[in-house]
Amino acid sequence: MFSIRNLALYLIAMFIILTLNFLLPRMMPGDPLMAIYGEEALVQMTPALKAELVERFALDQPWWQQFAAYLSTLFTGDLGYSYYYNAPALEVILGRLPWTLLLVGTTLIISTFGGIILGIESGWRRSSLQDKSLLTGLMVLGGFPDFFLGILLLIGFGVTWAIFPLAGAITPYSGFTGAALVLDVLHHLFLPVTALILCHVGASYLLTRNTMVTVLKEPYMLTARAKGLSNLVMRYRHAGRNALLPVITRTGIQLGRMITGVLFVEIVFAYPGLGYLTYEALLARDYPVLQGVLLIVAVFVLIANFLVDLSYSKIDPRIRYAH
Amino acid sequence: MFQVRYKIPHLKTRISPLKVSLALLTLALLCCLLVTACSKTGQPLEPVSYTVADSTGDWGYPSPYTHYGRGPGYVRMSFLFDTLVWKDASDFVPALAKEWEYISAENAYIFKLRDDVTWHDGVEFTAEDVVFTFNYTKEHPFQWVDSSIVESAEAIDEYTVKLYLSKPYAPFFQDVAGTQPMIPQHIWQNVEEPEKFTTAEAIIGTGPYTLADYSKEHGSYLYKAYDDYYLGKPSVDEIKFVKISAEMIPAALKGGSIDAADIPPEVVSEMEEAGLTIITAPYSWNAKLTINHQKEPLSSKQFRQALAYAIDREALVQITQRGHALAGSPGMIPPTSAWYNPDTPQYEYDQARSKQLLEGLGYEMKDGYFTKGGEELELELIAPADYKEVGQFIKQQLEAVGIKIDFRTLEEKTVDAKVEAWDFDLSIYGHGGLYDPSMLNKVIIGKGFISARYTSNETLNELLENQITEMDQGKRVNIVRQIQELYAEDLPALTLYYPNWYWAHDGSVELFYTNNGIAFGIPIPLNKLAFMQYKPM
Repeated sequence: MFSIRNLALYLIAMFIILTLNFLLPRMMPGDPLMAIYGEEALVQMTPALKAELVERFALDQPWWQQFAAYLSTLFTGDLGYSYYYNAPALEVILGRLPWTLLLVGTTLIISTFGGIILGIESGWRRSSLQDKSLLTGLMVLGGFPDFFLGILLLIGFGVTWAIFPLAGAITPYSGFTGAALVLDVLHHLFLPVTALILCHVGASYLLTRNTMVTVLKEPYMLTARAKGLSNLVMRYRHAGRNALLPVITRTGIQLGRMITGVLFVEIVFAYPGLGYLTYEALLARDYPVLQGVLLIVAVFVLIANFLVDLSYSKIDPRIRYAH
Repeated sequence: MFQVRYKIPHLKTRISPLKVSLALLTLALLCCLLVTACSKTGQPLEPVSYTVADSTGDWGYPSPYTHYGRGPGYVRMSFLFDTLVWKDASDFVPALAKEWEYISAENAYIFKLRDDVTWHDGVEFTAEDVVFTFNYTKEHPFQWVDSSIVESAEAIDEYTVKLYLSKPYAPFFQDVAGTQPMIPQHIWQNVEEPEKFTTAEAIIGTGPYTLADYSKEHGSYLYKAYDDYYLGKPSVDEIKFVKISAEMIPAALKGGSIDAADIPPEVVSEMEEAGLTIITAPYSWNAKLTINHQKEPLSSKQFRQALAYAIDREALVQITQRGHALAGSPGMIPPTSAWYNPDTPQYEYDQARSKQLLEGLGYEMKDGYFTKGGEELELELIAPADYKEVGQFIKQQLEAVGIKIDFRTLEEKTVDAKVEAWDFDLSIYGHGGLYDPSMLNKVIIGKGFISARYTSNETLNELLENQITEMDQGKRVNIVRQIQELYAEDLPALTLYYPNWYWAHDGSVELFYTNNGIAFGIPIPLNKLAFMQYKPM
């Protein structure tokens, strides 16, 4: 079902990403140790530590040995040490990853399914008042940058009416446990997710609606109608399922991109995710964390693509015969 | 065109997915509203809790070797660890040491320690811990203290310790005794890598609070009062540090979800109207015009003075800082400081005087700009983007007297590197630490780009060396006054302004700014003594 050829392609992509990640700091002018570790390290680096790091990265060896050393440290889960956070880069990143996944995951699920449902309904009733107003409304919203919608929501619901919290992902030291904690997390999640959904739902909506309009003209739709199928079945099983493919592709590509794409929204809401971490690492010139984020995002894009490939053949059996 | 337009009415379903999703969304919104309502009203009687917010949040694990190398990191650590002496709003006060004495013949300090102090794990604090701490910093220097100042430490008896200094050191209390946190020997004697020591034992100190939680991701800290603190249990049971983006801090202060935070000058009046107390930091930070005095024509003292006369520092404060700053004194020490010399040359704004000085150096005015030997006088001014307005203002002012300026903003590290390599004419730079005059040495004759690296005035060099070793306070004040006069006369750099810094708080705890800053000079009003019931002596 999933060919060797495909797997090889993924491995090649992964290899190119790793090579880039290896080359970039070493191609920067100046001391590669400083490029790998950032200038915070210079303050704390003793000669003994420096010697240890030169050895660990084989910086005094030819490049292919350096590359081998780099790969072997990577495979032991070592993404380098952040001197700014005084902790391994992987630990810093993993601490933030769940929050971004929560934000991105919730957004993608709701905006994709919401977009699909709205697209199917809208396409079914194209040219009606509902269709036109949805189309205009979502296109206007999609035209705003997500952080701008975030700021508007924050000023309205956070500052003026004080219904939602102003920052963060939880209420620190509220003593909430169990259900109250879950509600607290949702409470903090609501505004950033709403801003992202309003901004992103338009894309999958438009895609679904367009495909829907085309599919509705197909002869098999007439056949379905002739068989006496209900509107609901026609709309979702016959037309809707065919409209899914491009949306799924788009969502898959979005998953990787969104992890850094939520950067602005995370900054507006001081949400402790990977985007905010990237921003902080940039300000502090914390190269190990930046590279780590780059690597993690790259891996996510690859995984997402892989999952999209897999789900294709489930949704559209024709793909299976195409190879 | 073939259109599927016809509908079969009786089959049309009533449950439209559109409606379902709308209903779900409404439900989610209602849920959230309910949570807010609950969290607002369902508050049980809690111990007295105080919440402080800032926009960075995470300042590292608050152990002496693991907090980040910035002031807020030290402050978070200072709630857990004590020093030999501490400061309140006006002077040094006893802390772990109850009295002290300087023996000038031996150049040593004798500290009598309190005998009622325990570490958070119950072990008694003794002179051995003090000796251990100073020995430990010889091998593992604490980032804020120069470990070469204390040559050796000796325990005279269980509660008396004698510290021998390597040379007379005037700011000893500010820089060492009031900054070096004491660490417990029974824990740290086995710690080889203090920078990686982040267990629960690493935060056992003698301070008024213990750490109940620290979250790197959320940038939050929870402190609980230590019942057996030697000044009595703190009056505030719980202190929380939380992270809120800078833009949202004013709203959070007004809404009452936080008790204190620093605020930008623009919102001061709004906060006052909302009933919050505003406190202003004593000036300790200055923005400077850095001058390349190694290079023609800036190597001439008269030329540098001409620059000073041409820049209206009052107008600079009004225009570029919207009035939220104090105009700079050319002697660097702010006029509000006890060290300030009122006789420092001020170079009041005087365009005519500036032009006169330049003409005296052989420059001639041609088409609005000065020239010499047929060449137009043009200087390059570089600054990080933060100083864009200041740079543009200076360009305008210098061009008004006839000095052409090529102003460019560059990335901060690039500016630093160019200044470090003397590859510039003029630059703008800022630094803090103007509480104790020992900072003058670092930024006048010290090394690196933060310093003017001006060593050609022998008298000035000598005075700077002397003010560090002069143990008599009155004599030291005199020396520092002379330094300001000489420095302002030579002008290797020109202090432009001292910005205003504000904190707003709800008044439930009397926050105050520490005399000369917390410890070595941190301008943050979070002195642990503000949270105590009993003030020391």
